[in-house]
Amino acid sequence: MKRIGKPVFFIVFVIILALAYTSVFGIYGENGDFKITYIKGINDMRWGIDINGGVEAVFAPDGRDATDDEMESVKAILELRLVDQNVTDYEIYPDYTNDRITVRFPWKSDETNYDPDSAISELSATASLTFRQGSEYSGEVLLEGKDVKNAYSTYQTGSDGLHQHVVVLELNDEGKEKFAEATRANLNKTISIWMDETCISAPTVENVITGGTATISGSFDAASAAKLANTINAGALPFGLKVESYSTISPSLGNSALQAMGIAAIAAMCCIFLFMLFMYRLPGFIAFIALLGQMAISIMAVSGYFPVFPSFTMTIPGIAGLILSIGMGVDANIITAERIKDELWTGKTLDGCIRNGTKGSFSAIFDGNITVIIVAIILILVFGPANIFSAIFGVSTTGLIYAFGYTLLVGVISNFIMGVGASRLMLKSISGYKFLRNKRLYGGKKSS
Amino acid sequence: MRQTFHIDFIKKSKIFFGISLGIMLVCLILNIFVFPTLVDIQFTGGTIIKYSYSGDLKAEDIEKTINDTIKESEGLKNDTIAYSYSDNLAKSEQDSNSKIVSLQFTGNKAVSVEDKTAITEALEKAYPDSTFKEASSSSVDASKGTNFFFKCLAAVILAAVLMIFYVALRFKKIGGLSAGVMAVAALIHDLIIVYFVFAMFRMPLNDNFIAVVLMILGYSLNDTIVIYDRIRELRKKSSPKTPIGEIVNTSLNQCMVRTICTSITTIMAIGSVLVVTLIFNIDSIISFALPMMIGLISGSYSSLCIAAPLWVIWKNHQAKKKEEQKNDKVPSKNKSKKNSKKGTKSETKKSDNDSKKAELDKTETAE
Repeated sequence: MKRIGKPVFFIVFVIILALAYTSVFGIYGENGDFKITYIKGINDMRWGIDINGGVEAVFAPDGRDATDDEMESVKAILELRLVDQNVTDYEIYPDYTNDRITVRFPWKSDETNYDPDSAISELSATASLTFRQGSEYSGEVLLEGKDVKNAYSTYQTGSDGLHQHVVVLELNDEGKEKFAEATRANLNKTISIWMDETCISAPTVENVITGGTATISGSFDAASAAKLANTINAGALPFGLKVESYSTISPSLGNSALQAMGIAAIAAMCCIFLFMLFMYRLPGFIAFIALLGQMAISIMAVSGYFPVFPSFTMTIPGIAGLILSIGMGVDANIITAERIKDELWTGKTLDGCIRNGTKGSFSAIFDGNITVIIVAIILILVFGPANIFSAIFGVSTTGLIYAFGYTLLVGVISNFIMGVGASRLMLKSISGYKFLRNKRLYGGKKSS
Repeated sequence: MRQTFHIDFIKKSKIFFGISLGIMLVCLILNIFVFPTLVDIQFTGGTIIKYSYSGDLKAEDIEKTINDTIKESEGLKNDTIAYSYSDNLAKSEQDSNSKIVSLQFTGNKAVSVEDKTAITEALEKAYPDSTFKEASSSSVDASKGTNFFFKCLAAVILAAVLMIFYVALRFKKIGGLSAGVMAVAALIHDLIIVYFVFAMFRMPLNDNFIAVVLMILGYSLNDTIVIYDRIRELRKKSSPKTPIGEIVNTSLNQCMVRTICTSITTIMAIGSVLVVTLIFNIDSIISFALPMMIGLISGSYSSLCIAAPLWVIWKNHQAKKKEEQKNDKVPSKNKSKKNSKKGTKSETKKSDNDSKKAELDKTETAE
């Protein structure tokens, strides 16, 4: 057997402890009064609406089919209104096949007078697009949404020879007249464009525009130009939005749930630690260290520990999935430890037993985990926001179970890293110590 | 090899089948006559609104206020509401007498936000001191519910197909497809149990049900695979004359410690969740943790006591059939031996092996 150095155990152990600590507590620095987050811990986790309370609503165009472009516009206006209500932590999932848009957002932590009804009503209100004189909302209304035929973003060479992103505005016949008049009256002055009560653009009129096609230029990039065009189109939408389904949860209802799940997680860890130590002794102890590592990796994958993985919205079923993966995770260690015990009873040397035991158990662990991975992926597909399944059946509103699938998948993968990889390294390394070579520590008979 | 248990699973398989069928039968009767299955509004469509309030109010007063309000609404005037009351468990300290009233609209109707606002305002106006507040609400359009139901159904079927395919692929050597089919029989057993847990505990079938069903599918199959894996290994090691029943029995006994230990750790995990949610009374998770826990127990049980014994019965049945086919061709056994001598040598050996196997197994199960 290729010997694994004695210090390897301690290196792996320290790495796992470091991962566990930082994944839970994060790493923060201070820069004057600002707190800088270097690594996100549990406190930076984004909690779902079942924990923080919040609103989930599905909107559909009222009474007609919408084109994909129109759905883009609906999305643009919903985003604008969410930001207007000071909601930045929203999730929004358009479903182009079935013309539905799902919006989900938690209550802000300092929200005291939450009012779900008005939040939903404000989002679904008919968009009101106005062009106003000057840059104030009180300015005279020059044009309305119904005067706009279409708006789109494009890339063109400006008068100064530079390439730039612009928004092209096409007006219908009625709008053409009005706009010609408006630009004549406001030449070299500002005409502001308003969605509801938010100013979305305030260009200065440079020419009198009589052809019904205007170009808004400025410091746009591709995204901001497209957004402005979408928002203007939303104002010209020929339909309103209806609320198809909704669910609201008050913030007080979820708070105790989070605390409860925390207690459950700690209780589960303790029970499993004692059980494994009692049943499998040394391999049991190692299994527990690996379990800590598994939890750390799972938490990292959810909290946005690595900047490349955005933080995931964690719900109560998601936490239940994490706890469940603790229980199932030790399965890899149990199978291996049982194998080693089997081998020890045949009277082979300790090293040979550990080698055979780890080798012989791999196929069972692998096969078993594949089935759980299949389940996890299907859960993600069914309850997740956008994928093949939702193309057929539509985006589902129950994002809570989605987190369960996700944590389950993360749990199985991190179990491969820790329960299979790291535990074996540790076991082979620690068995190099003379005082830990007693076969009884591995579940064998009393060594003669 | 070390073997802690010596249970003859194959011989006792009739007892195990009896226990499972018995439990299912009792649950089925209760399900039909006493506890009909409830389905959540997630699948049927409908609306549930919960209000928290404080103080002692008469139920009939609250109901009258609400019923008067909905009579004025165009969309709801013909609807009735089922009410239920409970203590508010998320109550704050200064408001220790907080209660929750839950309104479920019959007719699976999605209630519009405007109508809901009207109800909330009517309650606030009628009982200004009771601080009526919307605790939670949920409204699902009926067509969306049906859609969601079919989506879930498709997912469960897809999961089952993928898994049978995987087992068949992995276990070609020990009979591939038949092993896969028997594994599925065990899975169906577990799903029926999970379904009855929902029915018996009066929990409506919802997204939790689908999550538990899929999870148990994976977990139970995981257990079965570990056992099949051991059968595959033992079969390689033992002589081809060893009867299948014996191999399976040894495999089951060797795997039992592992199956039980893994079940214990998994049950510890989900059990902690269940206990804590029972203490804190978090409904949405109780209907997840309780069926999950019972499903896990059923999953381990079915892998040991249903899937493998069923497979042995199947294999023996096949062997017997083969033998009968040969016997049909020639009436007596003596003749068959004479006849087969004329055939190739290897064929003779094979048929002898098969009939011996079948006989051995028969004696084992008949005992």
